[in-house]
Amino acid sequence: MNPLPPVEVEPHPWRGLAWLTRRECHRVLKLWKQTILAPVISSLLFMIVFGLSLGDSIAEIGGFEYRVFIVPGLIAMAMAQSAYSNNSSTIFQARNDRYLDDILSAPMSAWQVHLGYLAGGAMRSLIIGVVLTALALPLTGAPLEMPLELIVAVVLTIGGFGALGIIVGVYAQSWDNQSFINNIVILPLIFLGGVFYSVSRLGTPWEQISHLNPLFYVVEAVRYGFLGAADVSPWLSLGVVGAITFALLAWAQFLFSTGHRLKP
Amino acid sequence: MDQTATVTPGTDPAAAPPALSIRGLTKRYADGTLALEDLDLEIPDGSFFGLLGPNGAGKTTLIGAVCNLIRVTGGEISVFGRPGTGMAARRMIGIAEQEPNLDKFLTVYETLLYHGGYYGMDGREASERAEQMIDAFDLRAKRDVEAPKLSGGMRRRLLLARALLHRPRLVILDEPTAGVDLELRHELWRYIRGLHEQGTTILLTTHYLEEAEALCDEIALISGGHIVARDSAEGLKRSHGVETLEEVYLKTVAGGRIAMDQLEEVE
Repeated sequence: MNPLPPVEVEPHPWRGLAWLTRRECHRVLKLWKQTILAPVISSLLFMIVFGLSLGDSIAEIGGFEYRVFIVPGLIAMAMAQSAYSNNSSTIFQARNDRYLDDILSAPMSAWQVHLGYLAGGAMRSLIIGVVLTALALPLTGAPLEMPLELIVAVVLTIGGFGALGIIVGVYAQSWDNQSFINNIVILPLIFLGGVFYSVSRLGTPWEQISHLNPLFYVVEAVRYGFLGAADVSPWLSLGVVGAITFALLAWAQFLFSTGHRLKP
Repeated sequence: MDQTATVTPGTDPAAAPPALSIRGLTKRYADGTLALEDLDLEIPDGSFFGLLGPNGAGKTTLIGAVCNLIRVTGGEISVFGRPGTGMAARRMIGIAEQEPNLDKFLTVYETLLYHGGYYGMDGREASERAEQMIDAFDLRAKRDVEAPKLSGGMRRRLLLARALLHRPRLVILDEPTAGVDLELRHELWRYIRGLHEQGTTILLTTHYLEEAEALCDEIALISGGHIVARDSAEGLKRSHGVETLEEVYLKTVAGGRIAMDQLEEVE
C-alpha cells in the first residue's frame, strides 16, 4: 500500500481528552477482577464479619445499630483507596514503560491529560461505591438520608484521592512506593478516622487528636450523607475535604503543567 | 465542515515556513549535564533530513525537545511556522521513538485507534486509518494481540504505524531500524521513501551511515550538543576531502585524528 500524503488538521479541542478517558476506563474494565471485584469483596467481608456477625454484641452508636454505623465508612474507604491506587498505578506504569510519551506529545493541554487520568480512578471508584451501596443497604438496613450531601462528599473524595494517586504515581520510583503510601499512610488514617467507631467515644485527648486526621472528615462527610448524622458538622467535613481536594488537584495540575518529574 | 486538508509542500519553498526551526536550543539536565547548547537548526518543508552523531551527542534530547518530551532550558522551536509548544505544532508531528514504548494494555488495533483519538480523530476515522496501517505494516495477523506479546520486529512496525497514523507533516524517526532484520529494514525504507515522496518531511536519526546516505537528501552531524557539520552526503564528503560518509563522521564527531588513524589501520 502506498502511503497517503500528510494532512493539516486543526487539533480538536476535546477529542484527545475523551479518548484518554476512554483508555483509562478501558484499563479499569479490562482488569475488572483486580480493580473492581477484589475491593468489593474485601469491603463486603468487613461488613459481614464486623457488622452482621459481631454487630449484635456491640452497642448502638449515635442511635444506629453497629452494622449500619460502619457501612458509610467502609464504602468511603473502598472508594478512596480505589481512586488512589488506580491513578497511582496507571501513571507509574505509563511513566515506567514510557508510553506516557504518546500522551505527552499529543495535542492535549495539561488540564486535559490531568482530567483524563482522573477519570479512570473516578469511574472505578464510582462503580465500587454503587455496587457496595446496592449490596449494603438491603443487607444491613442502612438508610440514605442526604443524597445531595453524599454526592458532594463522594465527588470531593474521588477527586482528592484520585489527585493524590496521580501525585504519588508521578513521584514514585518503584511499585513499593505506592503500596507504602496506601498501607502505611492512607489505610491507618482511615481506620483511625472512625470507620469502625465514633471518635466522640474516645475521650480527651484522643478525640481531639482524631480531629487532626484529615481522613476523619472524609469518613464523617460520607457518613452524614448516608445516616444524616455525624460526629462533626457536615459543613466542616465538606469544607476540610474540599480544601484538601483542591490543594491536591492543584499540585497534580502543577505536575502536568510544568512536566516536573514527568519529563527530564 | 471537513477541517482536513491534504498538504502539498514545496510549491514555493521560499515562501513556505520551514518544517522545523530551532533557535538557541539549550538543555541542561538536573544532574548538570549540558546535552544541547545554543543549537540552531532549520529543516526545510519536504526534506528528508538525517541527524547523525554518537551516543550522548544530543540527538534524542533534540527530538524530545521538539516533541514536548523534555523541559528545555532555553531557546525557541517552531513547526511549520507554529510555536512548538502549541497544539497545532504537536498535531503536525509524528514520532517513533528509539525504544518501543507501547501501551501494554492495548492490542495492535487499539494502540492505533487510541493514538488517533489522542491526536483528535473521531472514532470512525481513527478506526479506518488503524485498519489501513495494519495492512500497510503487515500487522493483520497480530491485529488483536497485545503489544507485550509481539516480537521485536512487530513492535517496531507498530511504533512506525502509530507515528504515521494521524498523517503528520513532520515525521521524526529515532533509530527506526535499530535491531531489525535486513528484510524489514528494506521494507521500512521503502515505505518511508514513499512517505517522503508524498510530501512528508522526515527527520531521521540513525547509526547506520549507509541508511542515512541512501535515504537523506541532507545530513547534519551533531556532537557535544552542537551541529558540527551539515550538507548533503556528497557535499560533506567533498568538503572534508574524503571518500565515504564514515570518514566524515569519524573526522567530525568521533574523535578526529585518533579515529581516522584507527580506520586507516583497519583498512
